[in-house]
Amino acid sequence: MFFAQLVANSVIAGALYTLITLGFNLIYGATKFTNMAHGAVAAMGAYGVFFATREGWGLPLSIVAGVLVAGIVGVITDRLVFSPLRKKKARASVFVIASLGIFALLQSILSITFGAQFWPLLPPGTGRVFDIAGASVTEVQLWILGSAVAASGILFILLKFTIFGKVIRALSDDEEVAKMLGINTDRMIGVIFFLGSMLAGLAGILSGFDTGVQPTMGLFLLLEGAVSSIVGGIGSLVGGILGAFLLGFVENFGIWFIASQWKGAIAFGLLTIFLIFRPRGIMGKD
Amino acid sequence: MNSSSRIVLGIVIIVAVIAGVFAFSQSPSTSNNVPATKNEPIKLGFIGPLTGDGAALGQNARAATEIAVAEVNAAGGIKGRPLEVIYEDGKCTGKEASNAANKLINADNVPVILGGLCSGETNSFAAAAEQAKRVVLSFCSSAPSITQAGDYIFRDYPSDLFQGSFAAKYVYETLGKKKVGIVYVKSDWGSGIKQVFSEEFSKLGGKIVAEEGYDQAARDLRTQLTKIKAAKPDLVYFLGYTEGSTVGLKQAAELKLGVPILGADGWDDPKLFANAGAAAEGVMYTVVSAPLSDAFKAKMKEKTGSEEVLACSPGAYDGVKILAQILASVGTDSTAIKDALYQVNYVGGVSAARVAFDKNGDPVEANYVVKIVKDGKATEVK
Repeated sequence: MFFAQLVANSVIAGALYTLITLGFNLIYGATKFTNMAHGAVAAMGAYGVFFATREGWGLPLSIVAGVLVAGIVGVITDRLVFSPLRKKKARASVFVIASLGIFALLQSILSITFGAQFWPLLPPGTGRVFDIAGASVTEVQLWILGSAVAASGILFILLKFTIFGKVIRALSDDEEVAKMLGINTDRMIGVIFFLGSMLAGLAGILSGFDTGVQPTMGLFLLLEGAVSSIVGGIGSLVGGILGAFLLGFVENFGIWFIASQWKGAIAFGLLTIFLIFRPRGIMGKD
Repeated sequence: MNSSSRIVLGIVIIVAVIAGVFAFSQSPSTSNNVPATKNEPIKLGFIGPLTGDGAALGQNARAATEIAVAEVNAAGGIKGRPLEVIYEDGKCTGKEASNAANKLINADNVPVILGGLCSGETNSFAAAAEQAKRVVLSFCSSAPSITQAGDYIFRDYPSDLFQGSFAAKYVYETLGKKKVGIVYVKSDWGSGIKQVFSEEFSKLGGKIVAEEGYDQAARDLRTQLTKIKAAKPDLVYFLGYTEGSTVGLKQAAELKLGVPILGADGWDDPKLFANAGAAAEGVMYTVVSAPLSDAFKAKMKEKTGSEEVLACSPGAYDGVKILAQILASVGTDSTAIKDALYQVNYVGGVSAARVAFDKNGDPVEANYVVKIVKDGKATEVK
């Protein structure tokens, strides 16, 4: 019974990390830099819902609004900061530092607008609790799992079977060659930012439903997403999913065996082990 | 000159100008013993969480402080000089509180800091204040480690040595529970109280069957709670602040923990019970018993619009009143204030029947009550 509960806790954590890492990897694939702003974009999505529900919008409409807010914020960061940097052919480190700056900026905007307090995103007592093979699982958690499966599926089909997917893959392989073939790479990267940021927004919203919102929530999502991505093989979508679930299981089973005080350290322990012994990650290729 | 060296030069000039403006706008002050000018306000510092974790406690304590300051000033101030408090946000973290204390000590040059509220805040700047010979009077920090923090460090809120052993006795003797699982926030407060409770409870003959800590920022306590549940305790002792506990209580309900839950004074916050809803029904917590007068309650209601006087507010109110008396008799020299604090015997306050400090700057006595949550409201268990 406790085993079932641990598996459930791990799967749900893995599903949440999957959502964040999918968008993270999508953007990395196209731009070849680790977008630190990704976590804050996720928080933006959650606060979009926070704002919309306070204004009295229904939940479905609020979720759509929140996801769109995240997507639009993502595109804005690309248009205002990353696109000009690409035109200047800035080094990858410049992109990373710029994204860190955006992260801090977005987080501050949230603190100033909504205050630094922690708020539950759903009123207390909403959502049912299910008993699945002896494990207690909430409705929100099933939504997290469902969203992760759906998002992975849609993304997979999109990349594998559509022209749009081919374009993205061409772009990820070699931006210069893609450009020569007549692809408007700058515009395509904008679209990728929109998609990836919407996924981040969804992760932020679901995490908000599960626990609550706080401007600093983005850091946690970013770290878990980045660790999943690196462990799985940065830039690889399948690797990201594997990394996310591996992290979810290692964290939750880890603290079953060692004191739970170490939960935070487990993620980085896993990261360190991978960086030493398999730096390209599970699915890593050169 | 190429463009990058122009940028570097530009930055250097900007920094130099800012530094210059900053240096000249500040009057040079090496001692806190500023000669008394008539009508110039006497400034005190305040540190507590005004945003983030514990903000409800901090804002409520700020309201109590403002009331006390207004009363002192309405009664003519300190020998004609008004009392003024500079409020700084410690965010219940050591880093923020330490920055705030540095500012209060070096820039505002206050003789006394009222605060911090969280134990981690007070611990973070106690050494710096001791070194600068500034008095610290915390109105809510309860970690046992603060007892030894220094000669200038006081608190009018009891150490968790009292609370932890009170809770241990209550659980073992009054509730008759012999097996306890502890889930605690890894802060000075949470770890401190956990340790005292464990020692006392084991001494009484009880058994601690599980002990799980979590990061103050953590919002997923499911696996910790699953582990606790697996250890089959008779009662769970949950030491947390409002934010983590809101989520933790909900998750405990989802996991069907099914045993009574006892918390500590960090739960004396109506926001917790409002946000946790049904998950908080029936939980209990220990809190310092404060002889709140009706007059004080009425003033707090007028100020905050709420009936609730939270755990840290009476101490903040009495702290201001005690300091005002001392400032009137010994002036603003911080060493004189420190010496006078050790002689204090303040009765008729709202935080305790009598406030007096022992040789460590701790209150000499403490009384606790247990509250239980019913219909979203905490009421005292008789």
